[in-house]
Amino acid sequence: MQYKLFKDREGNVCSIVVIGGIHEQMSIPLNPDNTDYQAYLKWVEEGNTPLPADEVTNGN
Amino acid sequence: MAGVPFVFGNATTSIPLSNLDANFNTGLTIGNTTVGLGNTVTTLGNVTLNNVTINSGTSNVSPANVVATTLTIGGVALGAGDASIMKNRIINGAMVIDQRNAGASGTVINTYTLDRWYYQASAASKLTWQQNAGSVTPPVGFTNYIGFTSSSAFSIGSGDYFFLYQPIEGYNIADLGWGTANGKTVTLSFQVQSSLTGNFGGSIRNSAGNQNYPFSYTISAANTWTSVSVTIPAPNTGSSWNSTNGLGLQLVLSMAAGSAFSGTANAWTASNIYSVTGSTSVVGTSGATFYITGVQLEVGSSATGFEYRQYGQELALCQRYYYQTPNSTIYFSRGTSGLAYSTTGFEGAAFLFPQPMRASPSYSASGTVNFYNPSLGRVTNTGTVGIYLATTDTVYLNNANNGSGFVINSVYWLAGTVSNPSISFSAEL
Repeated sequence: MQYKLFKDREGNVCSIVVIGGIHEQMSIPLNPDNTDYQAYLKWVEEGNTPLPADEVTNGN
Repeated sequence: MAGVPFVFGNATTSIPLSNLDANFNTGLTIGNTTVGLGNTVTTLGNVTLNNVTINSGTSNVSPANVVATTLTIGGVALGAGDASIMKNRIINGAMVIDQRNAGASGTVINTYTLDRWYYQASAASKLTWQQNAGSVTPPVGFTNYIGFTSSSAFSIGSGDYFFLYQPIEGYNIADLGWGTANGKTVTLSFQVQSSLTGNFGGSIRNSAGNQNYPFSYTISAANTWTSVSVTIPAPNTGSSWNSTNGLGLQLVLSMAAGSAFSGTANAWTASNIYSVTGSTSVVGTSGATFYITGVQLEVGSSATGFEYRQYGQELALCQRYYYQTPNSTIYFSRGTSGLAYSTTGFEGAAFLFPQPMRASPSYSASGTVNFYNPSLGRVTNTGTVGIYLATTDTVYLNNANNGSGFVINSVYWLAGTVSNPSISFSAEL
């Protein structure tokens, strides 16, 4: 399982996407009460680094 | 002088009020107690009342003054003190709600099974779980149970564990006063059936796992529902128990535990314990079954009747922690519309949860979601949909420009597909 940052259209990281989990798509809010986010923070504390977010533009 | 008429036999006469007042002042004797009349408040002791009707009007009977060791109504004992309404701290104790699986079986470990019930194991593919597995007749008064079936004869090592557990939110145990000098005794009760007989175990734990109360119970007859009741004293003063929206208490119902996670029954310990030494291993026998329902945790030192809740109430309690949309291949319910800000980008999908959730939830989908506008048609998303903003009652989603063919400034609904007919939100503990 891997984590990837997710950006809004202003280019701000707004959530974390889980890659390779039991769900094909999963997104975690940046909220300390969310246990999935707590697991992500623990994963980072263990020395891991999330994948960078895709660059988002405002499109056309 | 005014008089009060009264009748003796066939004679009618009157008594002067002054005489009545004098007599009333001496009091009226009922049983061994002299009762004052008029506005005098009187206490009766040792009086038995039969066939008493209390008519409408003002009553000064206060529940605080009703004292009974065991109060029984209609043959069912009520719990201690304040425990009779919403007394059960377990959610989905009757195993009725199964949003994720709709009754289908699973073998995944370290995951939620039925709502609020988590299956944790140290080894995969040893147990299959399912609502009403084996289709046995539930215990009287119940329609559902959760069942586990052993897939093989697995010899557990010292570090193995297989258990069903429910995490209880701190808000729902705050009144127990655990960790204080006023901690309350609680009683756990449930109905259990197994193809195996012997001693089984479990544990009550705090969030840190450094306060554990292992308990033991016996199943004497195979394939027969057995009522179990375990009374648990308050933990040590000074121990730590969360009383807000975090993890407050964990109830562990073990199906096997190695020696590293087994201990002595009926005593609080700081050791990380899931079960009791010498307990029966369900995974040790191929085809062995373990079924359970009617789980209740309540204040008091004795088990009382299971608290049945209406289906809608139980579902709402579950949805504080997990919500899954009804299946739809067109658009999801609850207002998932958003705006196309470009030909590839979509933002919005303000999704309103049916219940305020415990915390800002995670979003999940089992496949790629689409976007749909009744006039403009369907837009297929080619990548991830992520959370733009989440609160306890709403989430806004963003597709990070992974769509194609949006009509700019048009409204689209987040849409299901055949392979991904629903989305879910989790704020589990």
